[in-house]
Amino acid sequence: MTSIYWEPELETLSRNDLQKLQVERLKKTLGFAGESSFYKSKLQECGISADDIKCVEDIRKLPFTTKQDLRDHFPYGFLSLDKKEIIRLHSSSGTTGNPTVIYHNRHDIASWANLMARSLYTAGVRDTDVFQNICGYGLFTGGLGFQYGIERLGCLSIPAGAGNSLRQIKLMQDYGTTVAHAIPSYLGRLYEVFESMNLDPAKDTKLHTLVIGAEPHTDEQRRRIEDMYGVKAYNSFGLSEMNGPGVAFECTYQDGLHIWEDAYIVEIVDPETLEPVPDGEVGELVMTTLDRQANPLIRYRTRDLTRIIPGDCACGRSHRRLDRITGRSDDMFIIKGCNVFPMQIEKVLLKVPEVGSDYLITLDRQNDNDEMIVEVEVKKDWFRGDITRLDKLTKQITHQIRDEVLAKPIVKLVEPGAIPKTEGKAVRVKDLRKRS
Amino acid sequence: MAYQVSVFLENKIGHLERVTAVLKEHQINIRTMNLTHTANGWGILNLVVSDPEKAVGKLGEKGLSAALREIVVMKMSDQPGGLDQLLQQVASANVNFTNAYGRVEQEGELAFFVIDTDDVDNAKEKLTACGISILNDSDIYGGVK
Repeated sequence: MTSIYWEPELETLSRNDLQKLQVERLKKTLGFAGESSFYKSKLQECGISADDIKCVEDIRKLPFTTKQDLRDHFPYGFLSLDKKEIIRLHSSSGTTGNPTVIYHNRHDIASWANLMARSLYTAGVRDTDVFQNICGYGLFTGGLGFQYGIERLGCLSIPAGAGNSLRQIKLMQDYGTTVAHAIPSYLGRLYEVFESMNLDPAKDTKLHTLVIGAEPHTDEQRRRIEDMYGVKAYNSFGLSEMNGPGVAFECTYQDGLHIWEDAYIVEIVDPETLEPVPDGEVGELVMTTLDRQANPLIRYRTRDLTRIIPGDCACGRSHRRLDRITGRSDDMFIIKGCNVFPMQIEKVLLKVPEVGSDYLITLDRQNDNDEMIVEVEVKKDWFRGDITRLDKLTKQITHQIRDEVLAKPIVKLVEPGAIPKTEGKAVRVKDLRKRS
Repeated sequence: MAYQVSVFLENKIGHLERVTAVLKEHQINIRTMNLTHTANGWGILNLVVSDPEKAVGKLGEKGLSAALREIVVMKMSDQPGGLDQLLQQVASANVNFTNAYGRVEQEGELAFFVIDTDDVDNAKEKLTACGISILNDSDIYGGVK
């Protein structure tokens, strides 16, 4: 019988040994970090060196790192190695400021691929599988991140990319796809296409496993996807600052996501006081990389709100489990797999003189699809009574927002004054998606 | 130059009444109207009223998006076939329009037909050349005496 573990020893390491490994790797990481201009001065400032780290809790002596730090020290302030060692970068679009960029050397790419392979193996994927990655390739980490993991694991990979549902279904049928990875809302749409072709994915494909992630969803939504496709759907968690996918993954018990603690130190802190909260309590996820050389990050504030699920998992892995992400400690939201800051929408609207700069974004789940509805007011002074012009305006704003945030909104024109004005910080986003 | 008053409205209960309440308050008479609707949850209300400039001003004061929009208003006979005859002439004048509505002016005798078209001056010229009579502003706003 083959093992249920990709790396049996590492995955079942006792908590004590796991923490020893973390301390050893944190010291190494501080060594690499000290070579970057940002951490060099930061570590000097706080006066802490690798020698001061005796146990995992000592990490609290180190300062936090924020997304703003990454932006302020763009492009090379966090780079720990000579540029000739670097083989790849992934970056955010950078439309709200400098992009967030992460660099990788050969070691980092191999380590990430291994974590990704371990994650997939944990969800029951094997080298005999045909894996269709329905995900955008390029700077977005979901494409290449999964690709390298699928190859490391040894599956037959189909780098299908995002969209084009008819082609996705044809690929599934032509090559007998057994595992597919996509964002949950896309799987809802794809199912509708299956239905319109009079196909039942449970009977007419060889799928046995789905991997879903990159956008917040409820357990109820997961169960619906499982019912539609007649397979198990496993939750994937990652963020580009921590490589991308492969940070935490569900095992076959589907009871929380094992976060790979040999590669990351996980802290959950109160977002106000920044003090640690006990396991089981919700707080902001703070992460430190332990196996990254080119671009280590120390105590990175992810802004994701979640909790550690207390207790052991029946699968025997000692790496603790994260619960679903329940929200954000900033105003960013995720729709259709895209990270969106309200500021980006505002920037687009400011360039359209026909509409006011007041807007309301409503996130809603409609027929299993997450939709972003953007309401804007038709300005009195610009209105000419022309219906064609307003139709064109709607399309124009839709395209411009789509180009900016990569997710297509539903743009609704409303009467002046229809959007509630609030004192101080305006309510710009209403999230009606149910979170469990 | 004749104008209709065009108002941007969301398709919601009570929104049309916001407009009529303003017109009532300022004793502005509605001569004829039409309401278009789009699939996007909004529409445009077009009004021919006794005092369009005042109407736009007062509606604007109430925060509504209202605009003056130039129209062409043509006479037709209030008899079976009256509109057909007019439209034959409009077509022969090679004038296209995007929106249209009408009003009976004198029962069994005279009606008028409002069109919304791109190049109003040019359209008027072509329509007149085809023998169509265009109403003057005071007849449109106040009625044919």
